[in-house]
Amino acid sequence: MAAALAASLPAPQAAPTPAAPTYEAIPASMSKVIDIEADIPLTAVQLDGLAVSKITKHSSDSHSTPVHGLLLGLDLDGILEVSNSFPLPHHASDEDDKTSKGAARYQASMLRSLKEVRADDSVVGFYQSTTMGAFFSQTLIDTQAIHQDKLRHGGIVVVHDISQTSKGNASFRAFRLTAAFLDAYKKRSFSSQSLIDRRMTYSSILEEVPLKIRTNPLLDAFLNTLKTPHSSALPGVHPAESVTSSLPPSFSALDLGNAALTRNLEHTIEALDSYRVEEGNLAYLSRQIAREKARADTYVAKRKEENLARVAQGLPPLPEEDVNRLFKLPPEPSRLESLLLLGQVDAYAKTLEGTSSSNLVKMYAAKADAGV
Amino acid sequence: MPLGPSSSAVHLQPVPSSSTPPTARAPSNVTVHPVALFSILDHYLRRTDTQERVIGTLLGTRTENGDVVDVRSAFAVLHSESSEQVAVDMEYHRTMYELYQRTNPKEVIVGWYATGTNLNTYSALIQNFYSQETAPHPAIHIALNTGTEEGQESGVKAYISSPVGVYPKPENAVFLPIPVDLRFNDAERSGLELLASPTPLPASDIALLESTLQTVLGMIDRVLAYVRAVLAGEKQGDKAIGRYLLETFASGTDDLDKGGFAASLQDTLMMSYLANLVRAQAEVSTRLALVTSS
Repeated sequence: MAAALAASLPAPQAAPTPAAPTYEAIPASMSKVIDIEADIPLTAVQLDGLAVSKITKHSSDSHSTPVHGLLLGLDLDGILEVSNSFPLPHHASDEDDKTSKGAARYQASMLRSLKEVRADDSVVGFYQSTTMGAFFSQTLIDTQAIHQDKLRHGGIVVVHDISQTSKGNASFRAFRLTAAFLDAYKKRSFSSQSLIDRRMTYSSILEEVPLKIRTNPLLDAFLNTLKTPHSSALPGVHPAESVTSSLPPSFSALDLGNAALTRNLEHTIEALDSYRVEEGNLAYLSRQIAREKARADTYVAKRKEENLARVAQGLPPLPEEDVNRLFKLPPEPSRLESLLLLGQVDAYAKTLEGTSSSNLVKMYAAKADAGV
Repeated sequence: MPLGPSSSAVHLQPVPSSSTPPTARAPSNVTVHPVALFSILDHYLRRTDTQERVIGTLLGTRTENGDVVDVRSAFAVLHSESSEQVAVDMEYHRTMYELYQRTNPKEVIVGWYATGTNLNTYSALIQNFYSQETAPHPAIHIALNTGTEEGQESGVKAYISSPVGVYPKPENAVFLPIPVDLRFNDAERSGLELLASPTPLPASDIALLESTLQTVLGMIDRVLAYVRAVLAGEKQGDKAIGRYLLETFASGTDDLDKGGFAASLQDTLMMSYLANLVRAQAEVSTRLALVTSS
């Protein structure tokens, strides 16, 4: 087992080669990269350091409740540069008219204020915090669908995973809705037939856009100063304290605790339970539809038989048009909810898989005589 | 963790006495969160050509007795300085504060920031204005040196002010330096690490684990080299370091070996198996929904 594990790990690099400094080339002409009509499709998202830290702060401040905010920036040559962000106030559960108006006013005045200090003021998408990688939710889909209509390039959603980040791996991913899903969403048709036509699964609701992080040179320089250890000027201090750095290396990734694992498992089970309930509802509804259909069919068949008999007797046939009025066929249930729940289940399980596999590595690392 | 080069300033702290009311104490320590610093730097980048420095408001929390000020965010404020006068857009400051209050009602105004190290009469005037905003608590001032000017190292300094002279005037003030630290929670620290890494790209868990293990390996190698050098007599051993090493390596993995390892391994493998099973089921289920009955 240990040997197999060792074999599956990537081969250790001989020496970490220092990354060569890359300079951002200034193109000779900007005429090709600026598109007024938004013709150049987005290929990547670039998240600025300021936005990264703001999103992290906002998400970690409100512990488990998901938060969201708006992303500001510009697109240039197919790369969406997100330079700033601001949090949106938390929605009350009942969405009455007053709060939504207040939110719109808040958004407008925030954008105006940011413009005054020469910050970017065009909304390019929104961000959402999540736990354990499960971000499929009705609100996310709804908001993104609204944005897709209103914003240039349809906007993107950046998903930030709090549970991953508090474990030491800051996780940011960018998504947008696929064309097929958007089409179905606009027509509000999530019946089984529509799903079959579009070959829609939970993995084809959102498509991931590659995301990279950029720090501007000033921030880079500042961070490097923070990272550089400087020795204390005072004589006779403890060796542990004589050299201090504002940013000492952290080893939180090596934490063996598995409290998160338990919670992850609980979440998975919860998601499975709600999926089962939803499936039950769907099955009940489709049974009802089938029953109503059968009743309508028997009625029609009976009427036909009767008419045949009447025609044979030389009487005028009875009318056949009132079937639809007599039997109300319930509308076919939307499968969107179950699709999203299935997505949740998959995401939780995926996180679980990742955590347990890295736990495995950690366990062998902690065992002194594992023979690796 | 200190920010910037160490200074020779001696920070005197008043002995808490029971006679003074707890609210009257001046802050003796300032902690800054990275997001506030990044906001200041971003504001500095977006300044106009004519602006020498930029200023803005600091938001944060105080401890109950006002002893420690925790700066949690910052926003830019419009201002203009000329040789004759200084003007701060108060209305803008108020509007922004109200907007920030809506998303984060716990954070209040604690002071103001400026870039550069220049403390002048205008600083005293602005400080006077912010003292009114933060009353009854004294306002703090954070001077962030961006390090863009030749011969200056970037760093952060924090000050509180006290009036000077027989007849205190708003344009006269003494700025007293107080210690300032960088503060972050777990989430912010991983965000910082992501930004500080040479190739900032969100990595997978395993990749992060690998790099951490490599760092640990490197540290063990360093310690080993040092210990060998001391044993060979090439280096004078440091007792304090020796004691540290003893303490660190004394913690064994005995409890792991006593059967705990096997049980834990089984659990972890079970979990991995379960996760894979659930994923496979979910995939099958979503495909089955696409199968037509005919």
